[in-house]
Amino acid sequence: MQAWYLNENPYPFVPPHVLDAAESVRGSLPNKYCDPKIAADLFQEALDEYLLCDDIGINVVSNEHHAGINCLFGASPLILGILARQTRNVRILSLGTLITVRTDPVRVAEEYATADVISRGRLEIGFVKSGGTEMASGNANPVGIVDRFWEAIDLILKALSHREGPFSWEGKHFTHRHVNIWPGPWQQPHPPLWAATGDPTTSAELGRRGIVNVMVFRTAEETARAWGSYRKARAEAGLPAPGPDRFGHTAFVYTGDTDEEGVRVGGKLLWFLNTALRSAPQYSKFLPGAVPAELAPALYTTKPRPGVPAAARPAAGLIGITAEQAMAKGLMFAGNPDSVYRQIREYRERVGPFEHLVLASRSGFMTHGEATKGLRLFAREVLPRLREL
Amino acid sequence: MATTERVDVGGIPLDVLRRGAGRPLLVLHGEAPLDPGAPVVDLLAAHALVIAPTHPGFGHSARPDDLDTVYDLVHLYLDLLEQLPPGPVTLMGLSFGGWLAAEIAAARPHRVERLILVDAMGIKVGDRETPDILDVFNTAPAEVQRRRWHEPAKWAPDPDAMSNEALVAHARNREALCLYAWQPYLYNPRLARWLGRVTVPTLVLWGASDGIVTPAYGRAYCARIPGARFELIAAAGHHPEIEQPGAFVERVRAFLSS
Repeated sequence: MQAWYLNENPYPFVPPHVLDAAESVRGSLPNKYCDPKIAADLFQEALDEYLLCDDIGINVVSNEHHAGINCLFGASPLILGILARQTRNVRILSLGTLITVRTDPVRVAEEYATADVISRGRLEIGFVKSGGTEMASGNANPVGIVDRFWEAIDLILKALSHREGPFSWEGKHFTHRHVNIWPGPWQQPHPPLWAATGDPTTSAELGRRGIVNVMVFRTAEETARAWGSYRKARAEAGLPAPGPDRFGHTAFVYTGDTDEEGVRVGGKLLWFLNTALRSAPQYSKFLPGAVPAELAPALYTTKPRPGVPAAARPAAGLIGITAEQAMAKGLMFAGNPDSVYRQIREYRERVGPFEHLVLASRSGFMTHGEATKGLRLFAREVLPRLREL
Repeated sequence: MATTERVDVGGIPLDVLRRGAGRPLLVLHGEAPLDPGAPVVDLLAAHALVIAPTHPGFGHSARPDDLDTVYDLVHLYLDLLEQLPPGPVTLMGLSFGGWLAAEIAAARPHRVERLILVDAMGIKVGDRETPDILDVFNTAPAEVQRRRWHEPAKWAPDPDAMSNEALVAHARNREALCLYAWQPYLYNPRLARWLGRVTVPTLVLWGASDGIVTPAYGRAYCARIPGARFELIAAAGHHPEIEQPGAFVERVRAFLSS
């Protein structure tokens, strides 16, 4: 098993009374509440954590979100550019730039190829669909994003792998008559591919394409369902069974000297679920296309109705979760090194072998010092044992 | 008696509400299909043969995969016009349907003899930093209701009082509108340039309290259509046909008989 470090670089320092009064902590919160001097410190700390990972053998993950307290990284390719140069050893995963929001996938391909070349072939490319507030802040139509997602991927992959001069793309969502990126990627025909989804239908398509399927804060049941769909789709297509390297899991992870410290400090990570997910209804449950129209009775009504199941919105269902609940669901692994190792091994027994563990190991009010201590302990005491699995 | 029938228009199945008799009145709905039980339908049917299709994807209607732009809807209704009962047609467009009606009228189809636009969308009149049309997708739902109705307390729908079927239809309406009109948001940047091509008698009706598209926007719209008349309906918001059906139909009747 390999470990990957993800710090979404949130900005938790907005006064609580402002957050309480805001309709949404993403999308519409004015940026006057983000002090650039504090943000600069947070960027420096996050980048230092990535450099620490480079020294201790933990791969690094850059993501992006927009216009909210949950993530200051508004452009994954920009951060990749820094990581490609400043790290020397580890793999770098972009998970990812929001291709359903970017209007020109060719520019995405060009940025990824550049980062791959600067890093001399250490880039891995992850695709994410995004949603909610991202559609408002990115001015992107929330209806039809699955179709747009796959066309963007097809165009990016052709742009990365095409070596013989300009080609033309006149698709349903994207047109670009003269595609010819310089440089092409270091890794030929293109860097390894990932996608984040817990949706079984999308997982099936990942399976047919052989793309790494990474879960982000999904319970064991959801993970097993998505990966089952991945395996089944490959079998039905007559493709070889996937190895563990096709699967990844993202969890809140914190390793302390003691169980008490691990759970106490690790519990700070749940700020991400309990504070940073709060989103106005027009950006979430009422966003057209976000959930099938057939689920409207559960989303619009304020009182339960007989025969109407609760709407399946996994992230929102996690708001208010405690550390103990998160650990029971496999969303968080926390404690002393033995406990963290045991929890990961048990989770693995529940969902099947997976090669990639993404550590969401700094969020909310956790300090840089706490984060680096947890990472060092994990790398020294837990990771060697995971590599044996 | 009202009937809703499934009509084939160039291979596209279209749900069409018909009521009344006499001269055809083709009604293109706004953010939701015309409610067959709404008083305005019977009131209009006393003066005309009301023909009200549901735009594919709205309500419970089907939408072919390759029909997803306003361009498609405009051509669908140009086709439908060709197969209506004989005689000159009055074209009425409400809200989003007003955009469609304006596009169709600018194409000068020979069957259309009159045009009625009601709280219509479809053009850009303000400067680049002043949106003309309230963003019904990115604005808090309570604020949208406040701007939509003259009397929100009376007219804003209560989801807890709606049937499951009506809630699904509501979600499908939002999804369809979003698909057709997200970008540019509810207007065609080129339409205003061509509204001068509308040569039929035109009535522009507007709810005086409309906060989705204001009466000032309605006046600017009207000014671009040669000879068009602008009339306000008091004590009505974005849906005068719902909040003031009597006054609304009286204006329509007077226009049809003028």
